[in-house]
Amino acid sequence: MRWWVAVEWIEELIREGQKSVDEIEAFYVEGTSVSADLKQKKVNLATTSMDCGLGIRTIHKGRIGSSSTNDPHKWRDCLAAAVASGKFATPQTWHGLPEPVLLSSSSLSFDPALVCDPEIARDLVRQMLEGAAEHPADITAGSASLSVSSVTLANSHGIRYEDHQSGVSLSLEAIHRQSTGYEFDYSSYIGDVDPHNVGERAAFYACKSADGKDIPTGDYPVVLSPLAYAELLSNVFIPALNGRSVHSGRSRLATLLGESIADPLIQMYDDPLLPRASGSTRWDGEGTPTRRIDFIRDGVLENFAYDLKTAYRYDKKTTGSAVRGGFGGLPAIGHHNFIVDGQRGNIFDERVVYIHNVVGAHTANPMSGEFSVEISNAFWMEDGGFEEPVRSAMMSGNVFDMHKNIAGLSKESRTIGSLILPSIKLNKQRIIGK
Amino acid sequence: MSGVKYYDLRHVTGQVTHIDIDNGVVESAGTSFFNKAVLRVLNGTGWGVIQIDNFTPCTGKKFDDLIESAQKLAGITEEVVELGDVLHGILPVPPMKEDPRSVSIEEKSSLLAEIEEAARHPLVTNRRANYVERTEQVRFMDSSANEYSYEICRSGFNVLAVASRNGNVQMGYEREHTIHGFDLRHQQESGKKAAEIAVALLDAGAVKGGKMRAVLDPELAGVFAHEAVGHASEGDLIHEGSSVLKGKTGEKIGNEILTIVDDPTLSEFGFDPVDAEGTAVKRTEIIRRGIVNAFLHDRESLAAVGNGIAGHARAMPGEPPLVRMSNTFIENGDATEAEIFAECKNGIFLKGSRGGQVDPGRGIFQFNAEYGYLVENGECTKMIRDVSLSGEILVTLHKITLCGNDRKMSAGYCGKGGQSVPVSDGAPHVLLLDAVVGGSGVD
Repeated sequence: MRWWVAVEWIEELIREGQKSVDEIEAFYVEGTSVSADLKQKKVNLATTSMDCGLGIRTIHKGRIGSSSTNDPHKWRDCLAAAVASGKFATPQTWHGLPEPVLLSSSSLSFDPALVCDPEIARDLVRQMLEGAAEHPADITAGSASLSVSSVTLANSHGIRYEDHQSGVSLSLEAIHRQSTGYEFDYSSYIGDVDPHNVGERAAFYACKSADGKDIPTGDYPVVLSPLAYAELLSNVFIPALNGRSVHSGRSRLATLLGESIADPLIQMYDDPLLPRASGSTRWDGEGTPTRRIDFIRDGVLENFAYDLKTAYRYDKKTTGSAVRGGFGGLPAIGHHNFIVDGQRGNIFDERVVYIHNVVGAHTANPMSGEFSVEISNAFWMEDGGFEEPVRSAMMSGNVFDMHKNIAGLSKESRTIGSLILPSIKLNKQRIIGK
Repeated sequence: MSGVKYYDLRHVTGQVTHIDIDNGVVESAGTSFFNKAVLRVLNGTGWGVIQIDNFTPCTGKKFDDLIESAQKLAGITEEVVELGDVLHGILPVPPMKEDPRSVSIEEKSSLLAEIEEAARHPLVTNRRANYVERTEQVRFMDSSANEYSYEICRSGFNVLAVASRNGNVQMGYEREHTIHGFDLRHQQESGKKAAEIAVALLDAGAVKGGKMRAVLDPELAGVFAHEAVGHASEGDLIHEGSSVLKGKTGEKIGNEILTIVDDPTLSEFGFDPVDAEGTAVKRTEIIRRGIVNAFLHDRESLAAVGNGIAGHARAMPGEPPLVRMSNTFIENGDATEAEIFAECKNGIFLKGSRGGQVDPGRGIFQFNAEYGYLVENGECTKMIRDVSLSGEILVTLHKITLCGNDRKMSAGYCGKGGQSVPVSDGAPHVLLLDAVVGGSGVD
């Protein structure tokens, strides 16, 4: 890309690597962040971090080697470890790393106005506290952080890509007697977060959930908030769309391509090019240009997600779904902005149990989809208004089967990490009372 | 460095070796390196913390400049942090029977392949085995001239078997992780067991949710101790006001047969030779005979809250320490396994764990078993799958009515504040009355 600033040691690394392997790729991230953390209503901790990480991948006669370090001065050791690691890998079909293409140089998830200044972090915390003051809850903890990073990808085919990312992250925890509330917000753009609202909602949920009533065991019309829905999707459904899981026998969806697996109103896709969304990027973690992937269209399963390695092995095409985990992370199949969409409507037209959050979704069975979780900040809701809180109960079901019986999607969506989701309505959801 | 009340620096370097075998294919195998440090400074108010990747130890002006940057950062804090007085000191790291670093990656890879191969079965559609070996060299120093350094190596493996029949997909999962050295030899049994469980679960039924008697195996009862009691006793949560155990010191919150301990000195997976702020580690009886006895503390929460023992600060490399558990367990009682099943009579027996979660402020926890059996007339009968339990901390501990005499520890990792640290949990078999069971079965 035109704003590639030659990083001498990366050029040297690529040259050096080519002496011993067919292909080489280097991924380098450098970033800084600041944060202000609350203990009750006072800032107790201010942090700044300087992070860096290098991930090297080598491919030689179909054997893929890798290593990482967060000490870029030691790139020679890291390169030697990557080359050595390739010797142990089972060889596989491989048709090469991507070639460079001309991509727009404008970043999709970088805010030049975002500055990593501790005073700004403290100010964001104060705005959250002001919002929380609208309700009589006690604040227990909270945090505001700001980060910027630059990402560099280079390979022996001539790819020299650079991108910049920024982020602002807010969270607040509140308690009212024995009732807790939590809210958060995240964006790449400092103007897109609403600290006052984060504070107000955290305190609201704590207060509004106090003195809940028990609910008898039974099947109920339920609305899952985007947050509760995200917990179930990310622990069960999304991993089942991963091409590697599909082909290696770890996905219940493996044999269902072309079949209806969800209510016809459901659309699920990854849109990596959505402006201002935090997961947006023009190239994936190994340099493949990104594009929209439709996983489910009108309830029908259409695609799985692939990176180069899995695509070459199973004779598929990469979907540009390689993502890197953290600093110096190696590529793995993931998503950029995972979106659930479909016809929106009024899902609050009858009395429903509204579930804001769940506890323990990571214990769901990722193979079968079975889950039973504790619900939290749950309320009876009528015409969209919060009524009586539900004290404590469990919710059980199957994440896959649940998608066949989605009764409606809310008008609004919300960003939860890299997911953009509506609230969903389920007509008959099992709730186990206490 | 004028105005500095306290500082400490924790620098961790190390390497991670991993092997990933998926259906007979070595997906990846190799070594990565890390170098991370965290500097914490107390000025007149709260903490100023600098996290540095790729840290080069320094002295003189360069170090003073770092302290000054942290001081400046601390300028935005408002709370006045006090540190409790603690004992310092370090325990020797238990010796390893066989240092994994002396074993070649080829040999590790072929031993792991044997474990993965042992999970072969006509109904098993996927076998996956992972090996991980992590060595950390830790160096700690503080402004009171305390200095410690140690090296620890943790290694182990996981093996997963996925069985599938007519769209029904189930899994079996076995793992062993240890601080005692290389443990990949003679472990094929784990692969075989993962496969057997996955296949058996194809015929298991879903349990109908509701209240019932439950026998928990040592692994699951350990997770219960961790989720239901351990987190809620963490001093930082008590300090913030987000634990139902706040102000409960000396109160009886559980059956008198119940003693729950966190002990970082034990030679188990959560062993800590010295905590992350240089405090000597010590066995802490959180619950003694049903009574809230001592909270887990770091120096800050010890000063702010009291009623407990410091030495429980832990951190991932380069991260600021948090109050954490280490080796958490329910002490042995005097019941035999047979007595526990006889007393249960009709209910469920739950084994293994897929983890759990707690909201300590609300006092509600959830945890999940890998599988279980119906108990009918004191005997295990039909296999059941996907069973979760939930409960209220201040109610459930009264409902543990029998503790066995066969405590066993299981290794794992615990997440808090975005940091994951090695822990172990354990217990004997226990009987839990009125367990709230979530399952997707219906009449």
